[in-house]
Amino acid sequence: MTIAERLGTVSYRNQGRNDASAHIHVDTDICNSRCPHKGTTYMCPANCYTVDAEGLVHFQVEDCIECGTCMYACDQGAVTWKYPDPEQGLGVTWNLG
Amino acid sequence: MEDKFDCIIVGGGIAGLSAAMVCAQNNLRFLLVERGEFCGAKNVSGGVLWGTELARLVPDYWKAPDAGFERFIRHRRLTFMDEQSAFSLDFKSDHFDQPPYAGITVLRAKFDNWLASKVEAAIEASAFADESFLVPDVLVEELLLESGAVVGIRAGEETFYADCVILAEGVNNLLTRQIGLQPEYVPADYVAVGVKEVIRFDQKVLEDRFQLQDRSGLSNEFVGFASQGVEGGGFLYTNLDTVSVGLVLGMKDLREKGGPKPYDLLDTFKRHPAVADMLRGGESLEYAAHVVSTGDIRALPKEVYADGVLVTGEAAGLLLNSGKAIQGMDYAMHSGILAAEAVAAAKQDEDFSAASLKRYRDALDASYLMQDMRGFQDAVHLLHSPAMFQAVPNLFCDFGRQFFTIDNAPTRKASAMLKDSIRKHSSFLEMMKLGFKARKL
Repeated sequence: MTIAERLGTVSYRNQGRNDASAHIHVDTDICNSRCPHKGTTYMCPANCYTVDAEGLVHFQVEDCIECGTCMYACDQGAVTWKYPDPEQGLGVTWNLG
Repeated sequence: MEDKFDCIIVGGGIAGLSAAMVCAQNNLRFLLVERGEFCGAKNVSGGVLWGTELARLVPDYWKAPDAGFERFIRHRRLTFMDEQSAFSLDFKSDHFDQPPYAGITVLRAKFDNWLASKVEAAIEASAFADESFLVPDVLVEELLLESGAVVGIRAGEETFYADCVILAEGVNNLLTRQIGLQPEYVPADYVAVGVKEVIRFDQKVLEDRFQLQDRSGLSNEFVGFASQGVEGGGFLYTNLDTVSVGLVLGMKDLREKGGPKPYDLLDTFKRHPAVADMLRGGESLEYAAHVVSTGDIRALPKEVYADGVLVTGEAAGLLLNSGKAIQGMDYAMHSGILAAEAVAAAKQDEDFSAASLKRYRDALDASYLMQDMRGFQDAVHLLHSPAMFQAVPNLFCDFGRQFFTIDNAPTRKASAMLKDSIRKHSSFLEMMKLGFKARKL
């Protein structure tokens, strides 16, 4: 099962809303300038952190399932992690949990 | 109606709902806020709720056909794996199959929502039926402090005040950090990440495959190939017509290994012959993941109470994997109950200072929970040692393969086989050291 198929089973809140606010901010300049491990790119269970062909880290919040992993995976201070706003934020609603 | 609650509870998981139940039973005027659409909407666990305490909150819960649990644990299995083999300790007993059942499988979106309905009923029956509330879709952004004491919460533009606040916000305890009970940055050393899938079967197929009678169920934990060298292990639990299958992986080790990704590890685990045989024909309904604390006592908040505030459940780092079971939800329930009892006693005294709320810490220390967490720290460290998820399972499987192989050659003594397996995967010295440590289990 691919990660895309897996994430297809997840119910997200406020998906497709243009003004939805991000609950996680990543300073990828830190990832790309001084992080020795780029751990989030292979530890995030929702593949929100990816590495491109040039080896640069990118982050997208849309697939985030609010697990918290990146808050601990990053020890460089690049990740600012908050809970999503119920009305305007993204994030999950588990059907089973 | 006064403008101040006796108590505000942050989080509608098991800790928060258990606290709310006890608040209602003690006729406290309280507000429980949950950031999800409903209680359970944001919650993930393996998961087995161990112990019998649910029966204390919801007497005879098993008699109701719509009770929120999945199955009773009647059959337990601990499996050691290498790439091809599975060697299990297997225990099944009718002793487990009678009330009050001491282990139930749950799916949190369903279970927590059901428990919330029981809290609503308790509020109805309390002295403050119209003045206590469970409110979903409210995110607490900050705790309000006056002269160093917690006096309320802020959610968006709105503020709510109370004599005290019970934090039941889960492992990602941002509010506990806000008031300095936990450092702002918690290192990867003290957390793990769980990934799981819930896989559906025809209920009859599931019951036949796992030999389940009525509402009996199986809990199966895995060490070894399950996590492919990464610190951690696997689990498989039977629900009503689904199976929860997943891995718990040590965050620091995962980072140091540099991959593979958690969901790729999960795929490989699911493809192991022993697991694949159990999952064949199932349909994956939902993938989920969540951080989980490791039960290392060094990671606990520096205190679980302060002026006007109490910290419960995983927000307080209360979880233990002693090798016998992963206990998180029963710890959440117990700590939630104790916190609410402390609030009820503080209300009697009209004193919500730290000195008064210390009674929660005292009750926690006296309970099975802190006794076990303190008593089994060696077990926690042993289970996190590489030998336990690499050499030991490989050695067991190697021995098993020799022992259970019957071919047309002279049969060797089991002791000779064991020696071979130890030499191949470890050493006698290592095993003696491990055996010495294992006395603590």
